[in-house]
Amino acid sequence: MLIETDILVIGAGPAGSTAAKHAALGGAKVLMLDKKSEIGAPKRCAEGVSIGGLESLGIEPNPRWVTKKLDGVRMVSPNGTDVWLTSDKVELPEAGYILERKVFDKFMAMDAARAGAEIRVKTLATGLRREDDHVIVSAECMDEEFEIKAKIIIAADGPETRVARWAGLRTALKAKDMESCAQFEMAGVEMENNDVIEFYFGSVAPGGYAWIFPKGDDIANVGLGVLTTNTDKTAYQHLLEFVENCPATKNAQPVELNIGADPVGGMPKKMVADNVMVVGDAASQVNPLTGGGIISGMTGGMLAGKVAAEAIKEGDASEKRLSEYEKVCRAEIGDSINKYLKVKDYMMTLSDEELDSIADVFKDTDFERVSTGEIVKTLIKVSPKALLKLGKIF
Amino acid sequence: MIVKEWCMYCGGCAGVCPRNLIEVRELTLKFNEDECKECSLCVQLCPVDALEQE
Ligand SMILES: Cc1cc2nc3c(=O)[nH]c(=O)nc-3n(C[C@H](O)[C@H](O)[C@H](O)COP(=O)(O)OP(=O)(O)OC[C@H]3O[C@@H](n4cnc5c(N)ncnc54)[C@H](O)[C@@H]3O)c2cc1C
Ligand code: SF4
Ligand code: SF4
Repeated sequence: MLIETDILVIGAGPAGSTAAKHAALGGAKVLMLDKKSEIGAPKRCAEGVSIGGLESLGIEPNPRWVTKKLDGVRMVSPNGTDVWLTSDKVELPEAGYILERKVFDKFMAMDAARAGAEIRVKTLATGLRREDDHVIVSAECMDEEFEIKAKIIIAADGPETRVARWAGLRTALKAKDMESCAQFEMAGVEMENNDVIEFYFGSVAPGGYAWIFPKGDDIANVGLGVLTTNTDKTAYQHLLEFVENCPATKNAQPVELNIGADPVGGMPKKMVADNVMVVGDAASQVNPLTGGGIISGMTGGMLAGKVAAEAIKEGDASEKRLSEYEKVCRAEIGDSINKYLKVKDYMMTLSDEELDSIADVFKDTDFERVSTGEIVKTLIKVSPKALLKLGKIF
Repeated sequence: MIVKEWCMYCGGCAGVCPRNLIEVRELTLKFNEDECKECSLCVQLCPVDALEQE
C-alpha cells in the first residue's frame, strides 16, 4: 500500500501537532503519525509553560488542560537557603501555568485535525529513502506495513531524534547534552506555598536541578534531571534520595513514575535538508537552562508548518527553499537558546558552597521584574565568576 | 543488549546512540546488534538502569 501526501509529520507531540496544524491551515494535504496508542501518554514532562508563550502561539487556555496558575518561583540552594520571587514582592512577566500534558497534547492534535490534518495513531515510522523530488517513509501499524510518499517530511519525533538522522541531519545527542530525568507525580506534598514552582540546585541533581511543580491542592510533579557525565547514580536513584530528604515530600506518595530525556545542548547546525525539516526536541529546541521545550518546540513547529505549506504551493521542497524555516527559527528562538546554554555551562561550574553564598545574597536582593534574564543579571552583579562568563551576553 | 523488564520505552537511549541503532516501539525496544560498537552511552543514559551489555 502506498499513501500519498504533501506533508508527513512524524510524531504528534506539541511540536508535531503545531506543525501539522499550521501546514494544514496553509492549504497543504497533511498526514501526522504517532507510534503511541494515546497521544500525550505517558507524560514525560513537569508540565510548566509560560502564559505569554501560549499567547504568542495563539492558543487560548482551556480549563481542561490548565491545572494551576503560578504565582512565582522559590529557589533553594544546597544548604536550604531559599529565594522567593512572588507577585506580592515583584512584577512577574513570565507568569506560568502547570498543564495536564495528557490532555494538552491531545487538544493540540485535535486542533491539527480540525485544521484538516489526517492523524494515524499506533503507527510507527521505521525508515525513509529519497526518490526524485520526494521521500518515501516506511511505516507500521499493528500487522500492517505500508509506505508513505511525501513531498516534505517534518521530523517531530522528540528526543529520540531518529528520523532526521535517517535523512542525513546530525541531530544525535552527546551524553553531556542530554539530561536523564525521573519524576513522580505525588499527592500529600507539603509545600510552603503551593502557588509557586520550586527549584533545588546543587549535588541533589548533578548537571541539572530538582523541581517541585504544583498541580493544585497537595498534588505536584516532583522530579529531577541529571547529566550522566556528572554522576554514577541513575536519575531514579537521585529522585528517591531527593524525595526522602526534601521536607515537602517526606509524607507524599507517588501516583505516577515518569522518566525521559531532555536535550539541552542547543539547536543543531542544520535543521533542514531537501524535503526534510526537523522541529521540537528532535532539533533540541529547548531552553538549555530550564529544560523547558514545550513553547519553543511549538514555535519551531509553527514556523516549519507555515514554510512547508508555502513550499508546497510553490512546488519547491529543496533545502534552499526550506531553509527559510531555519532562518526564522534561529531569529525567533535561537538567540535565547544560545544565551541560556552559556548560563547552564556556568551553573555547572558552581560548587554547593558557591551556590549557597549566591543564594545568601539573592535572598536579600530586591528584584523589580522577574524573568530568567533578570535573575541572571543579578547573578552577574553578585558573582565575579558569573561576570567573567556571562557579563557580555546579558 | 539485555533490556530489563522495567524499561519504560522513554526513548532516551535512542537519542544518544551515535549510530542510531535503537528502535523504540510503544512497548518494545529493538537493537541493531550487528552495528553496535558497545560504547555503552545508551546504558549510561537510562534513568532506570534498564539496559545491560551482554
Ligand atoms: C522529565 C521532563 C520534564 C520536563 N518538563 C518540562 C516543563 O516543565 N516545561 C517544558 O516546557 N518542557 C519540559 N520538558 C521538555 C518537554 O517535555 C519537551 O520539550 C516536549 O515534550 C517536546 O515536544 P516534542 O513535540 O518535540 O516531542 P515529544 O513530546 O517527545 O513528542 C514526540 C512524539 O513523537 C512520537 N514518535 C517518536 N518516534 C516516532 C516514530 N518513529 N514514528 C511515529 N511516532 C514517533 C512519540 O511517540 C511522541 O509522541 C520536560 C522534559 C522531561 C523529560
Ligand atoms: S532509556 Fe531506559 S527506560 Fe528509556 S527506553 Fe531506553 S532502556 Fe528503556
Ligand atoms: S552501546 Fe553505543 S552503539 Fe551500541 S546501541 Fe548503545 S549507544 Fe548505540
